[in-house]
Amino acid sequence: MKKRTGVFVCHCGINIAGTVDVKKVTEELSKHPGVVHSEDYIYMCSDPGQNLIIDAIKEKNLDKVVVACCSPTLHETTFRNTIKSAGLNTFQCEIANIREQCSWVHKDMEKATEKAIKISKSTVERVLRNESLDPISIPVTRRALVIGGGIAGIQSALDLANSDFEVVLVERSPSIGGHMIQLSETFPTLDCSQCILTPKMVEVSKHPNIKLMTFSEVQEISGYIGNFKVKILKKPTYVDPDKCTLCDECTKVCPVVVPNEFDLGLTGRRAIYIPFPQAIPATYILDINSCPGLLPIACGKCADVCEPNAIDFDMKPEIIEEEVGAIIVASGYDQYDKELMAEYGYGKYPDVLDGLQFERLLSASGPTMGKILRPSDHKEPKEVVFIQCVGSRDPELHCEYCSKICCMYTAKHAMLYKHHVHDGQAYVFYIDIRSGGKGYEEFVQRAVEEDGVLYLRGKVSKVFEDKEKLKVWGIDTLIGKDIEIDADMVVLAMATRPSNGAEELARKLKIALDKDGFLAEAHPKLRPVESVTSGMFLAGAAQAPKDIPEAVAQASGAAAKAISILCQERLYHAPTVANVNINLCTGCGMCVDVCPYDALSLKNGKAEVNEVLCEGCGTCSATCLRAAIQVKNITPLQVHEMINACLGG
Amino acid sequence: MVKVEDIKKEAKRILKEGKVKYIIGYKKSTNGLMSVPAFIESPEDVENLIWDPTCVYNLTRFLVDEKRRKAREKNPDERPVGIVVKGCDSRAIIVLLQEKFINRENIYVLGISCETTGVLDEKKLLKKLNGKKAEKVEYDEKDNFIITTLDGKSKVPADEILAERCLECRANFPVINDILFGEKVDRKLDNRFKSLEKIESLSKEKRWGFWKEQLDKCIRCYACRSVCPMCYCDECVVDTINFAVTADTTAEEKAQRIKWVEKSPTTSENFVYHFVRAIHLAGRCIDCGECERVCPMDIPLRFLNKKMEKEAKELFDYDAGFDPDQPSLVSCFKDEDPEDFIR
Ligand SMILES: Cc1cc2nc3c(=O)[nH]c(=O)nc-3n(C[C@H](O)[C@H](O)[C@H](O)COP(=O)(O)OP(=O)(O)OC[C@H]3O[C@@H](n4cnc5c(N)ncnc54)[C@H](O)[C@@H]3O)c2cc1C
Ligand code: SF4
Ligand code: SF4
Ligand code: SF4
Ligand code: SF4
Repeated sequence: MKKRTGVFVCHCGINIAGTVDVKKVTEELSKHPGVVHSEDYIYMCSDPGQNLIIDAIKEKNLDKVVVACCSPTLHETTFRNTIKSAGLNTFQCEIANIREQCSWVHKDMEKATEKAIKISKSTVERVLRNESLDPISIPVTRRALVIGGGIAGIQSALDLANSDFEVVLVERSPSIGGHMIQLSETFPTLDCSQCILTPKMVEVSKHPNIKLMTFSEVQEISGYIGNFKVKILKKPTYVDPDKCTLCDECTKVCPVVVPNEFDLGLTGRRAIYIPFPQAIPATYILDINSCPGLLPIACGKCADVCEPNAIDFDMKPEIIEEEVGAIIVASGYDQYDKELMAEYGYGKYPDVLDGLQFERLLSASGPTMGKILRPSDHKEPKEVVFIQCVGSRDPELHCEYCSKICCMYTAKHAMLYKHHVHDGQAYVFYIDIRSGGKGYEEFVQRAVEEDGVLYLRGKVSKVFEDKEKLKVWGIDTLIGKDIEIDADMVVLAMATRPSNGAEELARKLKIALDKDGFLAEAHPKLRPVESVTSGMFLAGAAQAPKDIPEAVAQASGAAAKAISILCQERLYHAPTVANVNINLCTGCGMCVDVCPYDALSLKNGKAEVNEVLCEGCGTCSATCLRAAIQVKNITPLQVHEMINACLGG
Repeated sequence: MVKVEDIKKEAKRILKEGKVKYIIGYKKSTNGLMSVPAFIESPEDVENLIWDPTCVYNLTRFLVDEKRRKAREKNPDERPVGIVVKGCDSRAIIVLLQEKFINRENIYVLGISCETTGVLDEKKLLKKLNGKKAEKVEYDEKDNFIITTLDGKSKVPADEILAERCLECRANFPVINDILFGEKVDRKLDNRFKSLEKIESLSKEKRWGFWKEQLDKCIRCYACRSVCPMCYCDECVVDTINFAVTADTTAEEKAQRIKWVEKSPTTSENFVYHFVRAIHLAGRCIDCGECERVCPMDIPLRFLNKKMEKEAKELFDYDAGFDPDQPSLVSCFKDEDPEDFIR
């Protein structure tokens, strides 16, 4: 059959036509071998433009189409669907990018026109050798995995479960709740954090569609969108949650006391403990790192007093395998490392606290039962200095980015402090106040106007102890004067950073990190909840610093994206995948090593492609010494002919 | 000191016991000083085996032929092939294993340590003897060669007539072997890339001029490729004739043939061939020097490959032919790999 190619040159208004002589491109292309039709139009992607293509296919009996227009990322799908509606295989259409790669980057019309002609001709050479392909169809495992049981993960899991999909929720700490369960009251409405979170936690634990795995971590992931295989490591807690009656007898006899993580070291806990009273799952656990030993000879006191025999020293780690079709990563954040903030005396002076510690002081169920007392002497602090941007917005020494939530929670802290200590004074050192958000600016104003919080624009250079006081040296840049405050307590708004282990998790999942180490979204504007790997979505502070409403919104968005996969019987995968020429392959396995998607393996001494995993990236093809592996519709021959066309051959 | 009698004894044993189907080794040439490959199939022929400084060939290339021959046979003899290797040659075996071209169980390696010396450079020897013909070259216990000419025996310090690669060798001891002859001796190496210094010191233009002059001489006989154990591809990408056409090669596959290089030995085509080969040997070439030795036009091919070896070492800390389990250079990357040369 003769190859009959049609070329359609788009003006894109003046975007292309302003720099490229589109008439000349059209005319030159009409002379190219294999081209039987060529025309130009002002907006090829418009309805009339697409109709031109359809009509020409029918009238001139075209079997290949080249559209010379903008980048294929924009309209490749559009035009492929256009030719499909005219009865052609979608892969018989290729895009010649004469906008981003030509008109937009050149000024000289003559040269730009010449280049546009070359690009178009080389695309004709490519499409002439395109195969007609059909999408590869794959079945879908209609369950989801959610990693991280903070508010984001909880929300995603509930949304999925309530849409009737099974969810495996994996949380690495002993209880779900994340950082939100540690908070006191939440801006801007000051509702009690625990009061609004615990009902959701209970719903998770009771939901028939949710399989909750706490104290567990994802160990290995293989597979692809619609069909992931996950290995989850369930660490032993040494207490059987079904038997534990929460009687608390064990902690009374346990001789070990270590800092309590939930209160960020403001209180202690035993080696056997419950993370916090509302923990889900509601059970005690035994911390093997602080327990003197699991042998009854070493201690074993807890097991002696446990009436229901819930303590099981022989519990072993378990590997549990799950199959899921979509994954949501909600691994959250952690506070910036204290060791790095020595100039503020953090970790050195007991009355220099971080934001989360202050939340615990404010919390009605916290170490001081909601009273604000100094950890050092349990006296009520009368002068409290809050320092914002600790570690944030400091590209030289710390994090380049803005942690986003600190302006708001510092206003909240100062305000709540005033609610507790009416005769006290709160100072806030800030660079500027970022309070975009519904009701946020009003909230900050309230702190200033109603609660008399003193906002000082400037930086603190040093905090040091001086006669039972904390001396704070700073500068007020508005009046240009040095400031010295004798404070009773200093609270640091520590930068928010990716949670511990985020890098390792990203490596396991093969998803990317951004420059700051947060999980990278596929597109900053248009695909903010998708990761770069299809079938994996992002939610909450794992993707960027976020407050609760934003984390929840993204979590629901991620769940909706996951549902859009899980609600389908089958998924379709691009058929432009790698293909091995068995005769040339020597089975050296280099391609297997380089494939970023694990799509290749050696079988009977030859490379074999898993077409579902292959993304058609071409890395293998570039690696193979023998040119034995190539990607369909962008074969070395096609590339060769495209180069030839560019060289005028 | 390696005694040829020991090699013969072992060769006889494994042939007698039927452990190997044949042994690839060295024998005396009927024409000149330098030894030639020997294929020993019976214990009686073992007497022909020799070991001396003229054993320069890298015999591992014959493993490629062996594999091809075996693939064609209906009921192939599954026994391993015995092969005599020096240190450098043994590294070729490592690469072939790494690339899964051969299986460990298909070879029986008789490894010989070069100890403190190595093999001869025939051209250097000729020069040294001022045109006189050497009849025999032997190792002595020290770092010398004992040369027999019509005038009698003389002693020459080995490093004066050693092959260039031996002077920069880091594998005078076989990396892999089933039986070993000779001892592991440390050999000092001041600069493993010394031979490159001169050419590297030239300006870009001078270097271009040098290579243009050299590569313009190439007649594209492909002897360099034929002797190279790493150029085992069924079909080389620079060939325009399809060697790998088989009964099940589809018309489509045939239509996919690309003529990357013209056959004619012109400057541009010669450059393409040699660049392709150099790139294809990066991280694979084990510096046996065979391509340079066989080149009828005396093109210093070793420089090209040595330079690639140096780049691999300096950029990626990669050494070819020591570890069959390491991924090949072009298919592995580490987080610490430099990327400042990507522009
Ligand atoms: C001092 C302070 C005060 C704040 N006050 C407010 C406020 O008043 N209002 C407001 O809206 N926001 C506030 N925030 C912000 C709020 O804490 C976050 O928006 C919210 O917690 C983000 O939830 P998340 O689920 O994304 O992350 P997280 O709460 O961090 O939860 C992540 C969860 O994932 C788990 N995890 C991490 N890695 C893994 C892994 N590899 N495998 C399994 N599990 C993993 C963690 O253990 C954790 O349970 C405050 C923050 C701070 C620091
Ligand atoms: S790199 Fe090429 S020769 Fe090696 S296994 Fe892959 S396809 Fe085969
Ligand atoms: S094209 Fe890319 S994804 Fe596909 S097999 Fe090759 S390297 Fe792997
Ligand atoms: S052996 Fe020499 S002449 Fe022959 S192809 Fe190689 S470089 Fe060219
Ligand atoms: S030059 Fe490359 S393709 Fe040709 S035989 Fe050597 S390794 Fe194979």
